[in-house]
Amino acid sequence: MATMDKINDLYARKQKAELGGGEERIEKQHASGKKTARERIQMLMDPNSFVEIDAFVETRSIEFGMQKKKIPGDGVVTGYGTVNGRLVFVSSQDFTVIGGSLGEMHAAKITKVMDMAMKMGAPFISINDSGGARIEEGIDALKGFGEIFYRNTIASGVIPQISVIMGPCAGGAVYSPAITDFVFMVEKTSQMFITGPQVIKAVTGEDVTFEELGGAATHSTVSGVAHFKCASEEDCIRDIKRLLSFLPDNNLSDSELYDCTDDLNRISEELNGIIPDEPNKPYDMKKIITTVLDNYDFFEVHEGFAKNIIVGFGRINGRTVGIVANQPQVNAGVLDVDSSDKAARFVRFCDAFNIPLVTFTDVPGYLPGVGQEHTGIIRHGAKLLYAFSEATVPKINVIVRKAYGGAYIAMNSKHLGADIVFAWPSAEIAVMGPDGAANIIFRKDIANSDNPIAFREEKIREYREKFSNPYVAASRGYVDDVIEPATTRIRVAGALEMLTSKRETRPSKKHGNIPL
Amino acid sequence: MRKFVINVNGNRYEVEVEEVTGSGNAIATAAAPVQAAPAEPAQPVQKAAAPEAPKPAVSSSAPEGAVKITAPMPGTILDIKVKTGDQVKKGDVLLILEAMKMENEIVSPQDGVIASVNTSKGASVNSGDLLVSIS
Repeated sequence: MATMDKINDLYARKQKAELGGGEERIEKQHASGKKTARERIQMLMDPNSFVEIDAFVETRSIEFGMQKKKIPGDGVVTGYGTVNGRLVFVSSQDFTVIGGSLGEMHAAKITKVMDMAMKMGAPFISINDSGGARIEEGIDALKGFGEIFYRNTIASGVIPQISVIMGPCAGGAVYSPAITDFVFMVEKTSQMFITGPQVIKAVTGEDVTFEELGGAATHSTVSGVAHFKCASEEDCIRDIKRLLSFLPDNNLSDSELYDCTDDLNRISEELNGIIPDEPNKPYDMKKIITTVLDNYDFFEVHEGFAKNIIVGFGRINGRTVGIVANQPQVNAGVLDVDSSDKAARFVRFCDAFNIPLVTFTDVPGYLPGVGQEHTGIIRHGAKLLYAFSEATVPKINVIVRKAYGGAYIAMNSKHLGADIVFAWPSAEIAVMGPDGAANIIFRKDIANSDNPIAFREEKIREYREKFSNPYVAASRGYVDDVIEPATTRIRVAGALEMLTSKRETRPSKKHGNIPL
Repeated sequence: MRKFVINVNGNRYEVEVEEVTGSGNAIATAAAPVQAAPAEPAQPVQKAAAPEAPKPAVSSSAPEGAVKITAPMPGTILDIKVKTGDQVKKGDVLLILEAMKMENEIVSPQDGVIASVNTSKGASVNSGDLLVSIS
């Protein structure tokens, strides 16, 4: 072969690899409302920045006619490029090639870019669209999965890992996204489940559709598996870019510093009127969060799941902060099994990636009930305490209203190591609500009094005046300062500025044992 | 105090019902058999009759295919803002559930028509109890 022919041969080979499963299958992919693996990468990356690697890798399997089915690239596109100028590594499964099924070499391509992402300290984005393990390749496919899970775990807390589900993701395949930091799902076209509807029907007799079982709506509200539910693939890519803008490249770097175009000394009079006069009336905590952040811009994570707690990212003075806040508007803002899990995981992410934590507390307590106790509120609630205690990033807490009992401790209290605790004058920091406390402390007096109801009311009022305020806690130093709500943004920004040089060490250990 | 005559398995019971909620929403929440008028096989029947009498006037099931709104946590129904047949929009307040010393607004997850109201003002509910259904 002459040299020129060799060069032409190279381009012919590349072209073949780029076509994946061929025109017909690409059309089918489009018809089902999905983009191809390469189109997704093009949408995500800055124009012309994507560099593919391993385009010539193909399966080594010769069993069950694999020799004839094999296609260069082996059903996954991998490589690197930039998103808004920052390096990221990506793998994107190609459903047009043997259903995007995962075989030995397919997995080897993914683990190669994962290793590179870790070495270079850059985020890894994995786009999933696969029928699952390639049965023809037997246990070599399982080995492939295992090696991906292993790397997901080793990379956890080292580089941000984002999973994007843009098609089926079933069986063992779900555990890679599960280990990663954030899971995106697209409405109608993506599903995640361990066993599909047919198997469930056969085993338990339950009838369920794919969408009900493991669609984006289910996982973003009921199970909490997905952090983001997106209306379309375009929306999804846009949200991924937005999320990336808040994250650092790795655990040794800081998030990108943005120019703060909002007034740092903004006085927000509206916050002085946000807490209702009656302690039993709800209000929208998101208004407080957005008012404190730069440009009222809040990027919520897990928006539809365990809505009684709010978590997400924003910026103060151009720097990323992680927000955790109780939502009195939903289930009174109680801590329960799901909300504890949701917040604890978010706190640990922020701590791993040097993102300061700002919490807004208005919590009536842990949710009572047999259901909660039996699903392990002790075990799950403990995670939140553990996560806040363990975190060494700057921790600021603003107690806006209720902070009762164990839930007060759990919500980033001074006692768990919060650096600065502010309280609004409306704060009620106490061992429990006035009604319950009066009932216990004055039980005998109430029973012995001539008019128990009036006596009880009086004791409740007395307790409320004495203890349902921020000043008892402030007199002990559990609260650093009581502030006017309108000044919250300035005060939090100032505290964050002071805390930028915070250094806190922990005893060296292999790892802690969080109550899972 | 109102008097009712109730026939259970052919036995005649005279029942007095007292309204205890004080709200205008008259729902019999307490009822007890006062006396079994003709005491024939007396003992077993009385047992059977007692639990049947205090059933509240609300049903515990939703119409077929309707979206069920259930109590997110244990508490007391403070107010019901809708009645069967009402048009509701997503985000409209359906009822107020007092729980954890807070008045929690239970809002409609979608546009629709109230197919059934399955609870009453003043009722104590557990998490998971059916409150309202929307079709």
